[in-house]
This record gives sequence, C-alpha cells and structure tokens, in this order.
Amino acid sequence: MWSMIFVSSLSLGSFYTLVALGFALIFGVTRNFNLAHGELVVLAGYVSYWLWKMWAFPFILTFPAAVLVSLVICLGLERLFARLHEPLALNSIVLSFGVAVVIQNSMLFLFSGNYRLIRIPVLSRGFHLPGLYISYTQITLLGSSLIILFLLYMLMYRTYLGKAMRATIQDKDAAAMAGINVSAMGTLAFCIGALLIGLAGPLYGCIHYLYPSSGQEATLVAVTITIFAGVGRLSGIILAGWILGLAESFTVVFFGVSWREMVSAVLLLALLYFRPHGILGHGER
Amino acid sequence: MENDKKTMNFLTAKNRLNKSKTHWIGLFLGFMLFFALPLLVQSNHYILQVFTHALLLAALALAWDLLGASGSISLGHAAFFGAGAYASALLGLDLGLSPWATIPLAGLIATGLGLIMGLICLRLRGAYFALATLAFVEIPWVITDNWDSLTRGSLGLVGISGLPSIRIHGFHVDFGSSIVVSYYLIFAYFMILLGLVAFVHQSNIGLALQAIREEEIAAEAVGIHVNGYRLLSLLMSAFFTGVCGACYAHLVRYIEPGLVYGLHFSAVPMIFAICGGRLTILGPAVAAMVLYPMDQFVFHPLLPAGHEFLYGAVLILAMLFMPNGFWGRLRNAS
Amino acid sequence: MILLRLKSLNKTFNHFCALTDIDFSVGEGEIVGLVGPNGAGKTTLFNLISGRYKPSSGNILFKDIDITHLKPHAICRLGISRTFQSSRPFPGMSVLQNVMVGHVFGKRSSLHSRPENKQAAKELLDIVGIAHKADAPAGRLTLSEQRRLDLARALATRPKLLLLDEVAAGFSPVLVKQAVELINRVRKRGVTLLIIDHFLNLSLKVSDRLLALDHGEKIAEGPPHVVMRNPEVLRAYLGLRHESERD
Repeated sequence: MWSMIFVSSLSLGSFYTLVALGFALIFGVTRNFNLAHGELVVLAGYVSYWLWKMWAFPFILTFPAAVLVSLVICLGLERLFARLHEPLALNSIVLSFGVAVVIQNSMLFLFSGNYRLIRIPVLSRGFHLPGLYISYTQITLLGSSLIILFLLYMLMYRTYLGKAMRATIQDKDAAAMAGINVSAMGTLAFCIGALLIGLAGPLYGCIHYLYPSSGQEATLVAVTITIFAGVGRLSGIILAGWILGLAESFTVVFFGVSWREMVSAVLLLALLYFRPHGILGHGER
Repeated sequence: MENDKKTMNFLTAKNRLNKSKTHWIGLFLGFMLFFALPLLVQSNHYILQVFTHALLLAALALAWDLLGASGSISLGHAAFFGAGAYASALLGLDLGLSPWATIPLAGLIATGLGLIMGLICLRLRGAYFALATLAFVEIPWVITDNWDSLTRGSLGLVGISGLPSIRIHGFHVDFGSSIVVSYYLIFAYFMILLGLVAFVHQSNIGLALQAIREEEIAAEAVGIHVNGYRLLSLLMSAFFTGVCGACYAHLVRYIEPGLVYGLHFSAVPMIFAICGGRLTILGPAVAAMVLYPMDQFVFHPLLPAGHEFLYGAVLILAMLFMPNGFWGRLRNAS
Repeated sequence: MILLRLKSLNKTFNHFCALTDIDFSVGEGEIVGLVGPNGAGKTTLFNLISGRYKPSSGNILFKDIDITHLKPHAICRLGISRTFQSSRPFPGMSVLQNVMVGHVFGKRSSLHSRPENKQAAKELLDIVGIAHKADAPAGRLTLSEQRRLDLARALATRPKLLLLDEVAAGFSPVLVKQAVELINRVRKRGVTLLIIDHFLNLSLKVSDRLLALDHGEKIAEGPPHVVMRNPEVLRAYLGLRHESERD
C-alpha cells in the first residue's frame, strides 16, 4: 500500500506543481496574485472537454485550443492588473477575485452546472508491477508535468531571456536599472503562465470533475505551493507540490476523501502562521 | 494611497452629516421608503422577498465592513455566515430552542470562530491576511460536511423553523407567517446594525481603527493597542455576520454546506463594501440595496444561469475606476 | 535621577550587528543628542527604546521599570513617545484629529471629554506653530509641517521622555532656529529629550550631553564640545573609515 500512496502522491504532486507554476511565475515577476488562476485552469479544462466531447477532437489536439483561450484571457488580465494602484498585492487579489466570479458565472452560462469528466479510455488502464499498480493517468500526469518543468527550467536557467526573468523576480527596480524591460517581462510571464494553465487544464479535467466553482480548489493549491516555495526557486515549487501531493494522499487514505479539500487550506494557514511576513520574508527592519 | 488621502474620514463625514441637512433628509426619506415598502408594493410576495434579502445582505455588508474599517480585507466571511446559519438551525432542530435564543447564540458561536481566525490571521497584513481568510473558510466547511452525526453532512438541513411569533399582552405577531413581518424584522435588524456601525465609527474605536488603517506604525507609537483593536473589529464583524447567517437560515428554512459556506457569502459582502465605499458608513448598505435587486429583477430573468457575473463585473469596474466606491466618490465630489 | 537606562543592549539583524553593547543612561530633564554617521544605529536604538524592535540581548529600564519586552503602545502609555525620521501622519484625518489621537490613546487615564481633548490639541498645535492648519487633511501638509505635526502628536501623549528622530534635517537656518526655540519650549513642559541629529545642526545648540555612535558601537559620550573633539568622532564623521551602506 505504501508504494501505491507513494506513486499516487508523486504523480499528483507533480501535477500540482504544474498547476501552481503559472501562478507562481506571474506572482514572481509582477507581484500580482491572480486568484482567478483556478478558474482559468478549469476553463481550459472545459474547452478541452467541449472539443473532445462535442466535436470529437483527439484529446491531444485540444491542448492548443485550451492554451489559446487562456492566453487571450491572461493578456486581458494583464491589462487590468496594469491599471491597479498600490498596494498592488492586495488590490490584485480583490480584482482577480472579481474576475474569478465573472469566469465562474460565464462557465455556468456556457457549460451549465453539471459535473464533467474527460474520460480517455486508454488512460484509465494501467499495468502491474510487483506489488504495485500504476495507471496510465498517473504516468501521463507525472511524465507531462516533468517534461514541462524541464522545459521551463531550460528556459529560466539556460537562456538569456530566462536570466532577465529571474533578475526581474529577484529585484524589479534593479532589473529595470540594468536595462531589462520589466513590463515586457511581465507580459512574458503572463504568456508563459497562460501556456502553463492551458496545458494543466485538460489534464485537470482528466482527474477532477469539472464544474463552474471547482476552480477555487486549484487556486488554493497554487497559492499554497507558491507561499511554501517562495518566489524564484523552481526546485522549491516541485518540492512543495510533492509535499502537498503526499499530504493529500495520506489524508485520503487515513481520513477519507472528503477531508482532502481541507489539506491545502490547513497547510496554507500553517505556513502563513509561521511565516507571517509571507513569501518575501522581510522580517524586522 | 493618493485617493485614501483625499478621502475624508469618518469623523469629518459625521461632521458633514451634522452640517448638511440634505444628508439627514436623504437618510430620513430612505428610511421612510423602506418602512413603507410593503404598502407601496401591496405586499407583493416576490418583491418583498427580494428586498428582505437585500436588507439582509446590506446588514452582511455592514458587518463585513466592521472588519474592513481596520484596513483588513476578508475573503472568508462565509465561515462566520455558515457557522451562524448551522448553529442557529441545529440549536433549534436538536434542542428545540426558540430562534430568539438561537440567533444570538449563533452570533456568539461565530464570534468564537472569529477568535480562532484572529489567533491565526491577525499577525498577517494586507494580501496575506486576505489569502489566509480565503483558506480559513475551508475548515468549518469541511468539518460541517464531514460531521454527519451532528450536521447531517452534505445533505443539508431541512425543516428549520421559521422566524417565530411573539405575544405581548395578547397582541400576537407571527414573524414566520408572512413575508411582511419577516421583512420588518430584518429591517429592524439592519437599522440596529446601522446605528451601531455609525456609533462605532464616531467613537474612539473608530478613531483607533482609522489610525491603524492609515499608519499602523504611528498608531502603535501613540499608544493604540493595534492587534487588540484589530481583534475587536474582527470579533464584532464575526458576531453580526453570524447573526446574518442565522437569520438567513430561518428565512430560507433550508441550508446545506455549499450554500452557506460557499464563495457567494464571502464574495458578496466584500463586493458590496468595496463598490459602495468601504471607508464610508452607508456605502456598503447602499450598494447592497442597489445591486441585489438589480441582480434579481434584471439579470436573473435575462440570464438564469450565470446572472451573478454582475457582482464580479461591478467589482472589477470599482477596483479600476472608483477605488473609494461610488458612495465615497459621491462624497468627495460634493 | 535616571529616567532611562540602557544595559548592554545588542541588536542583530540576520547575523549583522546593528548595535553592540550599548550602555547609557539619560537623566530626568536632560536633553541628549544622539549623533553619528549614516548607519551608526541611531534609529535602530530608537526602535528598540520605543518597542518596535526587540533587542537581541540586554535590557531597557524606564523609571526603573523593565520595558524591554513591552509592546510599543504599552511603552507609549508609560511615558515614552517618539517622532519618525520620515513623518507618519494619519493622512485621512485632519491635523487636529491627528493630535487628538495622541490625547485619546496616549495614556491609560486619558479618557477626557471630546471638547477638552480638542482644546488641548489646539494648544499643542499652537506650540508647534501649525494652529492655522488645524482643519487641513494631514496628508496635504508640507514636509516641515508634517514634522511639526509628528511632534505635536507625540507631545499629546504627555510623555516623560520624547525621542526626536531628525526633526531638523534639511532645515534652513531660520527653521533650525525655530526648532531650537520649540525644543526649549518642550523642555519647559518637563519633558526629557533624546534627539537624533545626524547633521549636528540642532544638538550642538540644545544638548546637555551627546552620545556618539558608529557602526553600532558607542564611541563617545559627554558634553557636546568634548565629544566633538574626540578623535574617534572626528574620524567617523570625516569618513576616514569605510562608511557602511546601511541606514
């Protein structure tokens, strides 16, 4: 049983990392909290579901469409965020909360309140290893998350552009003074964030029921992981994702599936309690 | 920030109210309008029902803004609302207590929950406080969902008693029987809360909260117990939010976890307060009175699914164009 | 009689020593100037005394009460008040209300009636010379007016000890002269003063004693003319050692 828990938390955790990445990147570069993040993930899931179910698209071909939709919305969101006044972090929370309400209700209008799940026959199968059953869903989640993470890592740590992004994450003003176009970095962060959301959404639809208000959970996951990891450390985000995945798997096994929703909330509260100054961790002085 | 500076504070607002008779006349006319509403609409059940809820939501927004006055934005007031609703309903169903007893008790239970939230969240500021409150709702929600033996879990509670009747010297008023009486009861609660909020704002508590909101470091340096006052405002806010939840339970007579703990009752008071002007006394209430009937009479018939996008849209517009809310803007202009 | 006593006070921020082993006392009725180059630890010392930061080790005694672990509001109520290097008015309140906040919350026993508070606040505004701005929003004052307001609000808490952080920095000679008069008026009210004065344009004129800090260490104390001749102080001010970048 332990190995089963381990495998499922590894795949779930990697997927959570993927879900959180877009949020963390946007926050890191622009210092905007995008509380509509989960709604965007669910919307991307709906787009994929709709194309797959109604138009019989091959599942893999729904990804570009999902990315496109989230890209358009994220760029709009970026324009909205750009108009906010200080305090930026708090105002971005309130604004994106409004955006989340709008997206939720639009999804209710477009897709109704029914529960939807993307059921790909191949993915529901699996194979046995000694003492262990692994489903193709788990393989897909783990594999795609790790591949995307690797690509993002290459972008952030092996290219000039990535260097500029990391500089902006560390210190916006200093980066601007060093000649980095900080606002272009912000736009880029929203684009990459949208790409990540568009990739995460359809996968989300394979393992979670989609319904208009289901995005809150994904938002909470993203917030928790980002706060846990702090900004600017990819490895921290992966670690945080795995820990959250592990905590959820354990909770499901020992307390039951209905307690799972509380895990990320309790983790987030505990994190904030012990690091009251938040991610950036400015203590005294 | 610049706009905050331009905003006149509560005390001057009050002085202005005293000075300008127009405000008092406006207030009086508003009161008379709502007082006479059942006559005006000839006790039309549907219209009265909408306005009863509008008044309840206005009270909820006022309660939210008791915390808002300390500069904190809560995204988790559904925790208190839901706890109040469940507490009052269960005390009535399981112990057979009258709503007159269970509604205040529900307020106290919500206050207890507020104390727990305070212990966890009061060390946080701004964005992190807001995120913590967002996460905090999950705790009472999931507990209510899972504690089947007490709460009937996700099935919800049915058969909650309506608002009760009272007899004074043979004079009999049954609050549950007609929407008119329910309307007046909620109206009375709203007026009491409004008076209380106005009192708090012009008292030393209001002065301390304003100081904390505007310059916390200076506030503590001149002898204001910052976290004491922040806790006080949170507890008051939690109490009245709990009472609102309890009233809601007895008004609707059916509750389930997703209904009372859901995003709706966290979002709506915040949206009303921010759109109306969270640094004003009346703003949040006025916003509720305008937006909820607009939602119910205009948007609901047009868009049965998704009509609440209105709330999100007005919040976005308010954040972009009117950081002080329309009431605050009105006052700045005058 | 000794009003404030600092006993081997240390403060470190993430392994960086902002203050090391400060021993010092201020007598009742004294005016003490706190001098030293940028980053010497002057404001940090104020933040420790007023309770905003907690020392890493050491004690602070005020009227023989240990206030080391008290919160800022409690310290204020015991009788220590402060102004800020960059003024922190409550921008949405009127100037008068700013001062009244000090009256209302500064002392435990201070629940006067509103009119009484108002009268006292007006008198304080008169003393600092901004009575004509009483009804203006505090956010719209000039820098010098904001500093005066800060001072009036601090005085409204009726302190025994007042910590002034750079009240006269950047002031013209005329304004400095006014500030000197102001400080003498404050002293006459029986207030002990500790004044941070980086540019030395004020403390040399009003102080009974100076305390000189550099790199978080006490390098000299005594009467102004003695301290100003101290070779360590001269060296610190003339920058013969490397100035640190901290503030």
